[in-house]
Amino acid sequence: MVKKSTTKTADEKLLVGIDLGTSRSAISADNKKKEWIESYVGWPKDFISRRVIGKPVLIGEEAVKHRLSLDMYRPLQNGVIKEGTARDEEAVQEMIRHLVELVKTEKGSKIRAVIGVPAESFKVNKIALRKAVSEFAEALFVVSEPFAVAYGVEALDNAMVIDIGAGTMDFCIMHGTIPSEEDQRTVITAGDYIDEQLFTFLKERYPDADFTMNMVHRFKEEHSFVGDIENEIKVEIPVNGKSTSHTITAEMKRACESILPAMVESTLELIAKFDPEYQDAIRTNILLAGGGSQIKGIGSYLEKALGEYGPSKVNIVGDPLFCGADGALELAREMPEEYWTEL
Amino acid sequence: MRMMKPERRCPNTGKKNEILYGIYEENRKLSGTSPQRKRPLLPKYNKSKSYGTFMVLLALFFVLVPAFPDLQHQQVTASSTFSNERILFIPWSEIIYGRQIDNNHIQLSSLLIAKEPQLEVSFDARNLLNYDFLFKNEYARIGNIFGLDIQTIVIDPGHGGKDPGAVGSILGAVEKDIVLDIGLQLRDLLVKSGRFKVLLTRETDQYVSLADRVDFANSNKADLFISLHINALSQKDYNVTETFYFGPPSNTYTLHLAEQENRGSKVLIEDFNNMIKKIGDVLKEQESATLAATIQHSLFANLVKYDRIIADNGTKIAPFVVLLGVDAPSVLVEVSCISKNEEEVNLNDPDYREKVSVSIEKGIINYLTQRDIQIAIGDENGKKKYNKNGRREVTGRY
Ligand SMILES: Nc1ncnc2c1ncn2[C@@H]1O[C@H](COP(=O)(O)OP(=O)(O)O)[C@@H](O)[C@H]1O
Repeated sequence: MVKKSTTKTADEKLLVGIDLGTSRSAISADNKKKEWIESYVGWPKDFISRRVIGKPVLIGEEAVKHRLSLDMYRPLQNGVIKEGTARDEEAVQEMIRHLVELVKTEKGSKIRAVIGVPAESFKVNKIALRKAVSEFAEALFVVSEPFAVAYGVEALDNAMVIDIGAGTMDFCIMHGTIPSEEDQRTVITAGDYIDEQLFTFLKERYPDADFTMNMVHRFKEEHSFVGDIENEIKVEIPVNGKSTSHTITAEMKRACESILPAMVESTLELIAKFDPEYQDAIRTNILLAGGGSQIKGIGSYLEKALGEYGPSKVNIVGDPLFCGADGALELAREMPEEYWTEL
Repeated sequence: MRMMKPERRCPNTGKKNEILYGIYEENRKLSGTSPQRKRPLLPKYNKSKSYGTFMVLLALFFVLVPAFPDLQHQQVTASSTFSNERILFIPWSEIIYGRQIDNNHIQLSSLLIAKEPQLEVSFDARNLLNYDFLFKNEYARIGNIFGLDIQTIVIDPGHGGKDPGAVGSILGAVEKDIVLDIGLQLRDLLVKSGRFKVLLTRETDQYVSLADRVDFANSNKADLFISLHINALSQKDYNVTETFYFGPPSNTYTLHLAEQENRGSKVLIEDFNNMIKKIGDVLKEQESATLAATIQHSLFANLVKYDRIIADNGTKIAPFVVLLGVDAPSVLVEVSCISKNEEEVNLNDPDYREKVSVSIEKGIINYLTQRDIQIAIGDENGKKKYNKNGRREVTGRY
């Protein structure tokens, strides 16, 4: 387990906040460095690829680039660190190690980390996480990702964070204490789901067009919207090898809107558990985070939908990529010394 | 870059201390570290009275309630609108309600919009903790799964005989007949591919208990198990399609229950962690989840052509212990809602049912294809280049 730091006194300590996401992971350190990577870890498939690649393990974008010669892992897929194989645990470890390396300046500095993980994998995987980082971090706290976001923006009381990630959409209500299970919820209609829906819809409308999931994913990140927009969305998709313009407005809308019912329902249900006198307060203090918060119109849609139940206000985080890591770092900063050493 | 700050409503310092302490406590508990001192660790600058009170209350709570109270039999009583239905109240997820079929069996459905649970809750959470039961046979199957050895698919048309299932209100269309027809067509479609043996838990209008369905699937060494149902909702104008898969209801939930259970049984935290880990291991759950997702996608894509506003409720985990008994990856498809009049008319139409069967078949095939690809990319040992029957070569690896 973690050693106590009583022997050496003047150790350099580096505080880091990490957001371990299904698709992207980010780190913020108190030396002001920030980095993010794609949540992929790949090991060379065989001896030959090992030689060609020249490294025992690849992380992030580099792994994506060489994916054909790698055994690829997305260790937090479906919001759960799959503990089924040792590889998944190792993958998490490599990812964290890599993130930490990216921000570390002093060689020997001791790492104290707060890690935000998808809400669903919250408790169980702490065990795996702890194991995974014990080698290079002095101490570690694991929190749920939406909670880290909430902490970072000091939305600590009568507030709600909705984190729309790739694999999951996580809801978390804050009411002045650490959120309990009843204050949190996870649904699996999120970014990946939109991709799949969009893929299906486009296949239906343009059976001859030759597109991949990756392309669809790109279309989404570029053009996602709910509600109405003024201009048609046109994208280039090859047909029989020839690049052809396709209109995808209706399909984009439908795909993006497919996550709305679950979003509205879950929000309403979670809020409804609170005393009526707090409900308005929470409803007017909702924060959308995660990549999915960038869908055009999603904030105002939710605000309007909730408006039928009383006053409502929905904000969107300014920096979806780093708000989780920043919040985790904030937690690390404010965590009392005793807590660190005690763990 | 700083993010937008939502309104601040209170001085946050006190709140923060409380929250930080909460995190500490939670992490400590899960890491299995025992506290160095007996007293809870508090930040020196924040030894407020409320903590003391809180801890005393907490202590009292444990003294007074040594065996954690009735999560097993939570009672939420009120008037009953569904006469023989019982709501299974699952604290953080959807409201899933079941219609009692007989003393041992409940058919699960779920409410689209969870209103206040209005019915009696009777849900034996202890069953969820029957780990041995969960683990039995799982590992035997993993070999099969990696060997691409899907040979037997068991289709389970719900209800039958004395148990009609849901009944439509305008044509009197009956769930048991509809799902049987869909099941039979689905079998024919799958058999045509020549790849599988396909069995039905019932081929006629006959009553089969849930336990017998489970036995049937296991004794026939099912590799996939697909249960077919039609939903009925009290909100008549809703139409919903959804697919459940059977697994530990959610890790958090299982853990929550387990924590409570452990208080009585003095399970060591280490053992407990191991148990949880094993649940995470269970491949069946992942496979079931994938199968559920592919079926659900395909089904919804088809149904939405007929009912523009049908809701895609996606896939859900149902803590339905009896069906955890099937060793193979298992899903339960709630095709659509017969309670909506237009949908009842649709379901009564053989052409429509054929479309439903085709889309479920498509979902199954997508699942198998997807898996082939995954296995082609991810097979750890690289041993298996083809399956036992040698039908499908796994390509792309070498
Ligand atoms: N502009 C955008 N519009 C819609 N979706 C987006 C946009 N940018 C990113 N996303 C989606 O957000 C998801 C990733 O969000 P993120 O918060 O990084 O998730 P995670 O924490 O699960 O890795 C992906 O599905 C991605 O495609």
